[in-house]
Amino acid sequence: MSNWPTETKYISHATTRIDAPAKLTGKARYASDIQAEGWLYGMILRSKWPAAKILSINLEAALKIPGIKAAVTVKDGPRTIRFYGEELAAVAGTSKQACLDALRAIEVQAEPRHDFVVNEAEARKENAAQVWEGSPNSSKPQVRESGSVDTAFPECAAVVEGFYSTPIQIHHPMETHGNTISWTDDGVKAWASTQGISSVRDGLAGALQLNHSQVRVVTEYMGGGFGAKFGAGVEGILAAKLSKAAKAPVRLMLTRFEQALAVGNRPSSFQKIKIGATADGMLHAFEAENYGTAGIGGGGDGGGGGGGADITLPYLYKVPNSRVKQSVVAVNAGGARAFRAPGNPPASFGMESVMDDLAVKLGMDPLEFRLKNDPNPIRQREYKLGAEKFGWKQKYSKPGSSPGVVKIGVGCAAGAWPAGGGSSDTQGEAQINPDGSIEFRLGVQDIGTGTRTVIAVIAAELLGLKPEQITVKVGDTNYPPGPGSGGSTTCPSISPTVFDICQKALAQLQTQSGLADARGANWFAACKKLGVSPLVVHGKWQRGLSADRACGVQFAEVEVDTETGLVTVKKILGVHDCGLIINKLTLESQINGGIIMGMGYALYEERVMDDLSGVMLNPNFETYKLPGIADVPNIDIVLINMPERGVIGIGEPATIPTAGAIANAIANAIGVRVCSLPITPAKILAALGKVPPVTT
Amino acid sequence: MNKPEPENLGAHSRRTFLKSLGTVAATAATAQVTSVAAELEKVNAEKVVGPNAVPVTLKVNGQKLKLLLEPRVTLLDALRNYSTFTGAKEGCDRATCGACTVLLGDTPVYSCQKLAIEAQGEEITTVEGLAKNEKLSKVQSAFLDQDALQCGYCTPGFVMSVTALLKRNSHPNAADVKHACAGNLCRCGTQPRIIQAALKAAGVETASRTEVVDYV
Amino acid sequence: MKAFEYATAHSTASARELVAGNGAYLAGGNDLLGLLKEYLVSANILVNIKSLPGLDKIERGEKHWSIGSLVTVAQIEDDMEIKKVFPGLHEAASDVASQQIRNVATVGGNLAQHSRCWYFRQRDVPCLKKNGDLCYARNGENRYHSLFTGNPCISPVVSSLATIFTSLDATAIVLRDGKEIRLSMAELYQRAWENPLAHNSLNHGDLILRVEIPTARNRSAYMQVSDKHAFDWALVSCAAAAEVVAGKLKSPRVALGSISPVPHQVEAANHFLDGKVLDAATATQAADLILKDAKPLEHNAYKMPIAHALIRRTLLKLKGTA
Repeated sequence: MSNWPTETKYISHATTRIDAPAKLTGKARYASDIQAEGWLYGMILRSKWPAAKILSINLEAALKIPGIKAAVTVKDGPRTIRFYGEELAAVAGTSKQACLDALRAIEVQAEPRHDFVVNEAEARKENAAQVWEGSPNSSKPQVRESGSVDTAFPECAAVVEGFYSTPIQIHHPMETHGNTISWTDDGVKAWASTQGISSVRDGLAGALQLNHSQVRVVTEYMGGGFGAKFGAGVEGILAAKLSKAAKAPVRLMLTRFEQALAVGNRPSSFQKIKIGATADGMLHAFEAENYGTAGIGGGGDGGGGGGGADITLPYLYKVPNSRVKQSVVAVNAGGARAFRAPGNPPASFGMESVMDDLAVKLGMDPLEFRLKNDPNPIRQREYKLGAEKFGWKQKYSKPGSSPGVVKIGVGCAAGAWPAGGGSSDTQGEAQINPDGSIEFRLGVQDIGTGTRTVIAVIAAELLGLKPEQITVKVGDTNYPPGPGSGGSTTCPSISPTVFDICQKALAQLQTQSGLADARGANWFAACKKLGVSPLVVHGKWQRGLSADRACGVQFAEVEVDTETGLVTVKKILGVHDCGLIINKLTLESQINGGIIMGMGYALYEERVMDDLSGVMLNPNFETYKLPGIADVPNIDIVLINMPERGVIGIGEPATIPTAGAIANAIANAIGVRVCSLPITPAKILAALGKVPPVTT
Repeated sequence: MNKPEPENLGAHSRRTFLKSLGTVAATAATAQVTSVAAELEKVNAEKVVGPNAVPVTLKVNGQKLKLLLEPRVTLLDALRNYSTFTGAKEGCDRATCGACTVLLGDTPVYSCQKLAIEAQGEEITTVEGLAKNEKLSKVQSAFLDQDALQCGYCTPGFVMSVTALLKRNSHPNAADVKHACAGNLCRCGTQPRIIQAALKAAGVETASRTEVVDYV
Repeated sequence: MKAFEYATAHSTASARELVAGNGAYLAGGNDLLGLLKEYLVSANILVNIKSLPGLDKIERGEKHWSIGSLVTVAQIEDDMEIKKVFPGLHEAASDVASQQIRNVATVGGNLAQHSRCWYFRQRDVPCLKKNGDLCYARNGENRYHSLFTGNPCISPVVSSLATIFTSLDATAIVLRDGKEIRLSMAELYQRAWENPLAHNSLNHGDLILRVEIPTARNRSAYMQVSDKHAFDWALVSCAAAAEVVAGKLKSPRVALGSISPVPHQVEAANHFLDGKVLDAATATQAADLILKDAKPLEHNAYKMPIAHALIRRTLLKLKGTA
């Protein structure tokens, strides 16, 4: 079994991003920046009805618009539309303006359906409109039981009940979905904004009926994904078809409006929770019923539209007597896709909220209550370290006891991400030239997490070089295959792979050069001995250098103006473990990012659908509110260094506990619980009893 | 048939009449018709162009771009799709995210909500125009040092906003940075580091907020 | 956007002529271009009015100041004298949108901007304001809508400058068919109350020339609350202005924004406050009077306590401003 070096120059230290200069100077070209020779602009026509039978689509007039070179439908012939924004057709032309005019010239014959449903609670009713013909909207509930929950509740000294809800959250990466695609007789080249170049290749090859070897996908830079960017997408397939028809590359990027409607979201949750503990503060009984929507989901079989809206309850805690019932409900809205720690933020929010309320009922400090009921040794350490750094004992006081109009409160919550291990399919190669220059090639993506820099740092460390001396190329299906950048698996996938490449490279260099140690000062001499042939070393993921499962505990301090309901998050402390820290600098950025995204979930973000018209009311950044620079609190981070565990991913753990911590801090400040995210001023004022009843 | 005297015409028909004359008439002006020339000048200054493409000259990073654009083309569209300046990004096309921020003179604006035809005569600076001879600007260096970027898509916009801020105020505090950058969104969560980078570019170091603790 | 012609006007007469038919004035363009991009308005020609002479000045006077309609919101925010003389106006200006928007947004455009109701702004919803049959907000998602809802269209005025101008008793001077007319803020928005198709009382072709602000009220304050801390429309905004003589209010005015199609002012409340010493009790009573006839909707009653708090706080702020 191999081991990571313990005395390090670069690993676990801070190295600036090697792709920063390209991004900072505008030299970096994203899929939306590609200007391939003769490229055309592409655009999609979408359904303006939430439910309809499309009878026919006439592209004739669109094709006559000056500048338009191609127009295609998603599917010829009658089809059923199930959400506002579903794709109908696409055009390609020499300008954005031509495309806009062409879309307006497409004639769609449709029979709009007036029976549709966009609200989860409504969709569950007996007489609700059916999203999928002949299928109930709600799936059959799945039940998991342990112990004897019905007899356990009466045995509890304290019981707390609540109904917790979380909204549909939309990924909204700053670069929308899309590609620049060229389909010629030689095959397809796609510059994709994706987290998984292989998934795009496979998707395109399948849809276009090509061999995988005829499709090349390149992603040098991409503007964020958060789980939504896998697969070719309807937009990718349309771009390819347009390119073939127009005989030119087509750049088709979604608009922000389309991004909100059609390319994924985090399912909602509606959690009815009842939880009880014994007098000595041990969890004893737990009952929960949850449903959420994944939009139209994947299909109608078995009801509920398929798609995952399940969350794990009672989340991190082991309760001897429990019953959890889960179902998913379909609505006429865009389907869900994996979103940074799927299922975890809603579960953490619901669970950590009731934990706090139960602690209060028992008269216990919520932190002490968690230490009693969460035996995980890593989290125990994180709670204690965090409490000390945060000043928990000094800051915590009984709920609502903060004096004055603007109340201060503190809260904490935990999360754990079960995955984050490395993908054993990861491969890579390095080419070492006789002049000592070295280039790594991996078919992995850098989605903003600093993947390129991780590769450079590890290589520099193991080869005795500087990170600036390592050339890193990623994001090409022509390179050895790498993992999709999801599940917090990237770093633990590529790190052991780079380790393996470096070991093999050194072994070969040492053999060929006769030098016992080709690293560092000997590197150039060893390389020179290669003569005229560069050395290309192939490597793959090795066991023993990475692990999965990472935890995190977060503490939040908030101020709540009890007259206006405005919440200001003053401070968040994140205490996280992720095994061996490769690059401290980019790791901190990931944690900041997760926390800020969690804050958006807690306070600002929700998809708003209109029941009557079936449209989305906030498909933009005006009323779908992302946390801004003026909202972001001071964020402190404690990294638990556990090099003996190997490399583990951090992207998802960092965003799980934030909403729970903030919700608990708010409840602590104002003395009353808001059970529904986002916690807006409106909801705070309602919880405080300050909102007058409305007579209709 | 009497040719109507220019001075006696109502504004509308004067305009049509002069339009039909074209600019040639100006060269044939006599003392009696200097008012026609003056009218022509006014008409040319108020010339209606479009809706088809018209010549539009944009000065970007010191370089003159001679383009043919419809009046409805935005400055962002002109930069990204009619020339090679893809540094400014399209995040929303609705003046809500700031990824398209460029400078007109020293003033940061959303290029997605500015018609290209109206950016003529301005000194337009995009992110590509900040580095001098491959050397990153103070702001760009500070962003690099402080890791104030992740996926990089919002970065050009933030860099322009911070650059503009420091031109106005060379000693901003954190509140000033927030005020200047409130119109720039980021989904990856670079905001804390952007504040640090802006302060660093202004010569103010901020301490790290991270502690590493060994588990064992 | 659909294709359009473009021209720059050099006189108000040319401008008026050029927009006749189906043209639109283009100043900062923040609102207009957004509306065009969503096909919510159509225009055959955009007429650039930024070269019209004399409309971009801030003129200081003894009895009143005059702010040209082409003055940008950023210019107002940056003007240190305005900050001294009309602190509420400074505060309102600095809260508008974002730096990038303030840099190009004009006073005229800010006042004339169209409704932000999300049904109006949704291109595929045939709401009342777009000649449809129904106000979708009334029984729908109305969290951001009016508290005073006795009229057909319940989309509130969102111009924060309108709120502070109301409290300062400012007058908009508008050029209509070649003649200057004077409109109070209430008059400027009255048509939006009466006519669901209207966003304000301007006719097609009307041009706001300037806003005149009397200097009589030497104290003013503006506050707003949004979901976020910046770059977010106000849930409620409030402005108060008065002359403060020996600790007593003289000619006080309090206005609320974002809760009615017209900046909301209650004569009885102003009258009540006149001559009073400013303290928490009088402020509370004033707030009660201002909100007395509110008819909140299913999802926006939370605006009541916010409005109440803002009225009290804005009034009490008058003590401190000088």
